[in-house]
Amino acid sequence: MNLPPIMGDLVVLVPVVTLVVFAALTLLFGVFTRERAALGGLALTGVIAALVFTVFLWLQARAGGVAVTALGGAFRGDALSYAFSFIILIGAGLAVVLADGHRVRLQLDQPEFHPLLLLAAAGGLVLVSAGDLVTLLLGLEIMSLAVYVLAAWRERSRVSEEAGMKYFLLGAFASAVLVYGIALTFGATGRFDFAGIAAAAAAPDFAARGLLLLGALFVLVGLAFKVAFAPFHQWLPDVYTGAPTPVTAFMSVVVKTAAFGALLRTTGTLVDALGVGPIGEVLPAVLAVSIGLTMVVGNFGALLQSGVKRMLAYSAVAHAGYVGLAVLAGGDAGVQAASYYLFTYTFASVAAFAVLLSLMDDDDRGDRLERLAGLGRRRPWLAAALAVIMLSLAGFPPFAGFIGKAVVFQAAIAAGHAALAVLGISTAVVAVVFYARVVMTMYLREPDAHTPVARPIPRRTAVVMAIGLAATVVFGLFPGLWLDWIARAPWWSAGF
Amino acid sequence: MNVPTEAYVALSGVLFAIGAMGVLVRRSAIMVFLSVELMLNAANLAIVAYARHWAGFDALAGLTGQTVVFIVLAVAAAEVAVGLAILIAIFRDRSSTDVDALAEVRL
Repeated sequence: MNLPPIMGDLVVLVPVVTLVVFAALTLLFGVFTRERAALGGLALTGVIAALVFTVFLWLQARAGGVAVTALGGAFRGDALSYAFSFIILIGAGLAVVLADGHRVRLQLDQPEFHPLLLLAAAGGLVLVSAGDLVTLLLGLEIMSLAVYVLAAWRERSRVSEEAGMKYFLLGAFASAVLVYGIALTFGATGRFDFAGIAAAAAAPDFAARGLLLLGALFVLVGLAFKVAFAPFHQWLPDVYTGAPTPVTAFMSVVVKTAAFGALLRTTGTLVDALGVGPIGEVLPAVLAVSIGLTMVVGNFGALLQSGVKRMLAYSAVAHAGYVGLAVLAGGDAGVQAASYYLFTYTFASVAAFAVLLSLMDDDDRGDRLERLAGLGRRRPWLAAALAVIMLSLAGFPPFAGFIGKAVVFQAAIAAGHAALAVLGISTAVVAVVFYARVVMTMYLREPDAHTPVARPIPRRTAVVMAIGLAATVVFGLFPGLWLDWIARAPWWSAGF
Repeated sequence: MNVPTEAYVALSGVLFAIGAMGVLVRRSAIMVFLSVELMLNAANLAIVAYARHWAGFDALAGLTGQTVVFIVLAVAAAEVAVGLAILIAIFRDRSSTDVDALAEVRL
């Protein structure tokens, strides 16, 4: 029996361990001192420490040019995992600051709140660094279990409880489908690790291609639930609307980025493993149909909403469709396009929710579009910030959202999915309507007696908005800052 | 008596289908949750069966499969803990766990 080296390079685990340690510290600190004001700062310190370690490891990996693995290949440090860990940690940091600014007002100041955010982020890191399907499942569960609780956080709030319950039941169902897919993939190849699956499927006498396809479809469905590909997106608008708004912001960046990281790695491996021929064409075809549906359903769904939070939720489905184009394109170009899209979406999304939070009531309700009437005159800076974010999300140049869509469509066309890219471009036109509606309400519509005055913004929230806004403009004007940086990395497909 | 792997996998497929049906048709959140557990255990059965199958070719694959079953069991147990906590929070508020009553957000 030939055992693989068990430990490997344990240093790649440092960012995850940092997050877990800080989660424990934050929890203990909160429980023993009853000092709530410092918890956000402690949690943020943990995220920043993990970010610093990730950047350090990333630079080291770039210099070395090879992927590092730990725990017998279960945990990988390669370009995909570092790039996506980086995005996850940025999103988590912004969401922690955002939640901290509205902690008291929204009754989020229990000592368990910040530790759960950190644990969810740690699960996200495990998810994007997974070298086998079992680690992937563990990462998914570590992340999801924390987020189920966060979604249901607000006591005596029926919508929040409902969001938690819906997310939990559908999430548990999705993981069961994923586990069954893992079982079938194991049955077909005798392996759980991506490298082993690829090697087993590449063997000339590999006979279980049909079984592997079935397993791959189940795995795909399980992950499609998490990234909210249609027709598995129905939970998302309700959960995003019902969850406390800082948690919604967290989900829209951390959970989404992590799930896409896992999806990119999994579909990349499985599509390659299934190879060419009639069986190999099924998985991309299913994915293509689902992505086309996602773009249509997300954009038209957002068009019909009167609440801004729910509109952003549907638009999150639409954005998942656009990132899906990059997943379908696959290869290094697809991964790079997806990483740019998710990186810039992280800033725009958190900033959008930050603006929204300062317009909502203390019970975390009240997101109707009419509330924005006259904001352009009453709060010119806030309105300008929201306008830039909306235009970026709609895909207007020169903002980052435009470049994001451009690279994604480019990757899809280069991979031979021109028809789907055309569908994406036409649905993006629909998106302009509902994003522009927000901007027009702010600047053209007169406020009436019922329009509430926007509250003063906590300084921490203003910082989140400023960072989000600055990144949206800077990475829109200079997309090379991210694209050139990651293009020079040794990519994951070379790592096996 | 040597039961072929296909028989175990067929049984696991049936269990998985029953679980999936349960998720779709049952009204009580507890029953939906129980159906999800059935699906997870169906997957476990398939993994053990395949582990036995692969153990004949590669002893390590057999051991890995059996270990994974324990990991999946642990995951399922953690899910139960969180799920029941959310369920209790909902039940306190509404005295019901009917999933069809979870329709407030749509308003």
